[in-house]
Amino acid sequence: MDAVTYPNLDVIQFIQGHVVPVRLPFDAKPEADDFNVKWTPTLIILDHGGGEHHRTTGFLAPEELLPMILLGIGKTHFEREAFTEAIMSLDTLLKDYPKSDSAPEAIYYGAVSRYKSTHKPQPLKEAYEKLQAEYPSSEWTKRAAPYKLL
Amino acid sequence: MERKIEWEKNLSAAIARAQGENKPVLLDFHNPN
Repeated sequence: MDAVTYPNLDVIQFIQGHVVPVRLPFDAKPEADDFNVKWTPTLIILDHGGGEHHRTTGFLAPEELLPMILLGIGKTHFEREAFTEAIMSLDTLLKDYPKSDSAPEAIYYGAVSRYKSTHKPQPLKEAYEKLQAEYPSSEWTKRAAPYKLL
Repeated sequence: MERKIEWEKNLSAAIARAQGENKPVLLDFHNPN
């Protein structure tokens, strides 16, 4: 991460604009125990109350780190039931990083956010169809499979 | 001029800053060795 991803100018600008970055050693006490960290790098998105909403372990290139952060921001909004904000973050991810590993999960949570805010099931079915067409081997396609029956 | 990420080194300080700026926190556990 220090050799490739964090020196990247797009990464620097994005992080400065979207999150408050904090870096701790893997053995920091009590935080490493509090967050059950066993390997590095472990990256966690927290809300501004300190609650965890998304994490990854292992190296991420710049083109994967930025969508991972957007996914974490979107899930933070989703889990706080701020569905409009969640949809905005997840749609940005899908517009800017459609080929990223985070994209299928963003489709899933975007659809669920739309369902939760409208109570109309059509976004769930459309999400399954998009996942099946564009990411057929994704675990999120499998998780959305029941929605094809809607 | 070289630019780099300005990491907070204290989680409580980062959360307090996040509250003020209304942003999430990116928490990175790393191996400094």
